[in-house]
Amino acid sequence: MRRLTLTLLAAWPLAALSSEPSIDPETGLATWQAETHGIQVRLTQISPDQIRGFYLARGFSPEATERYARECVFMTVVRNIGERPIWHNLANWRYVSADQSPRALRSKVAWAHLWKRQGVSESARIAFTWAQFPATQVFAPGDWNQGMTSYSVPRGGHFDLSFVWQAGGRTHSGKIEQVRCADENS
Amino acid sequence: MKIHNHIFSAALAACCAFVPAAARAADLPPLSHSLTMQAPKPAPALKLKDLHGRTLDLAQFKGKVVLINFWATWCPPCRREMPSMERLSQAFKGQPLVVLAVDVGEDPDTIEAFTSQLDTTPTFPILLDTRSHAMQSWKVAGLPTTFLVDKQGRIVASAIGGREFDHPEIIRAIKELLRK
Repeated sequence: MRRLTLTLLAAWPLAALSSEPSIDPETGLATWQAETHGIQVRLTQISPDQIRGFYLARGFSPEATERYARECVFMTVVRNIGERPIWHNLANWRYVSADQSPRALRSKVAWAHLWKRQGVSESARIAFTWAQFPATQVFAPGDWNQGMTSYSVPRGGHFDLSFVWQAGGRTHSGKIEQVRCADENS
Repeated sequence: MKIHNHIFSAALAACCAFVPAAARAADLPPLSHSLTMQAPKPAPALKLKDLHGRTLDLAQFKGKVVLINFWATWCPPCRREMPSMERLSQAFKGQPLVVLAVDVGEDPDTIEAFTSQLDTTPTFPILLDTRSHAMQSWKVAGLPTTFLVDKQGRIVASAIGGREFDHPEIIRAIKELLRK
């Protein structure tokens, strides 16, 4: 068993580097950040009202907007701060909230199907797609990107996020712990 | 129509008010200045209308170096890097460098509402990829993404994320391409 554990650790280096959130004094919104093995990941709360403002302005119906505003949404930034290219695939990320097993993030494709069923216009769906964090991407050193990621966690609820990426032929994993969803009145 | 525009402007203000707030909270990474050089490969087709309804085709710029930036007004790093694209364009005025900005999924009113807030209005063409077909054929995964196309119409470099386009390193890379 010990050998198995050691083997897994060698194949899947883990890093749980998270910090206390920083709070924007103007908005009160919190940002969590982790830096490890050449990657920087940041999650910044987006309030439900900000979600409503953004998507209503992009042609979402009030119903579809409310559906997304029920999610726990973060502005997510991934940055290559190392010297080798890194590759990420959101499908490998997992989050764990209270008493739940690890869950995958709902993909852009799954959201797109939902919006189509709800009759959201094509232009609004395009805006939604490109506002989300890319599903998969290669970052050269210095590259970074940002977009929204969403989690099915109640307002004010907490979760731990495991983010996974590849660099130099190895798979790495990092963790941001005790991330908190923005309150309704944030 | 006027009322519609007022409603639209209010909605736009609401949406764009959120972007800088979130950007401040995140204390976004600085605009970097690296380009990822790559083995030259033929650029996909790019033929789109600009803000004034004129069709521009990448093929017409053969013999020139072309910087193509995929962006949208709601994308904070895209907004931040736009002034440096104009400075780059001005720095190479009269030389065979073309700067093209390809906006995804927005209409001219939305784009002009943003560009009119800039200290210097962009003089380079802004193309409309209304249905994001160009982004898909260029395999753009996120915004902003920028490509450098050489005089032979080949992609030779790319950049993911915001850049300071008039940084000496980028200017040097472009000058080298212009010399070839």
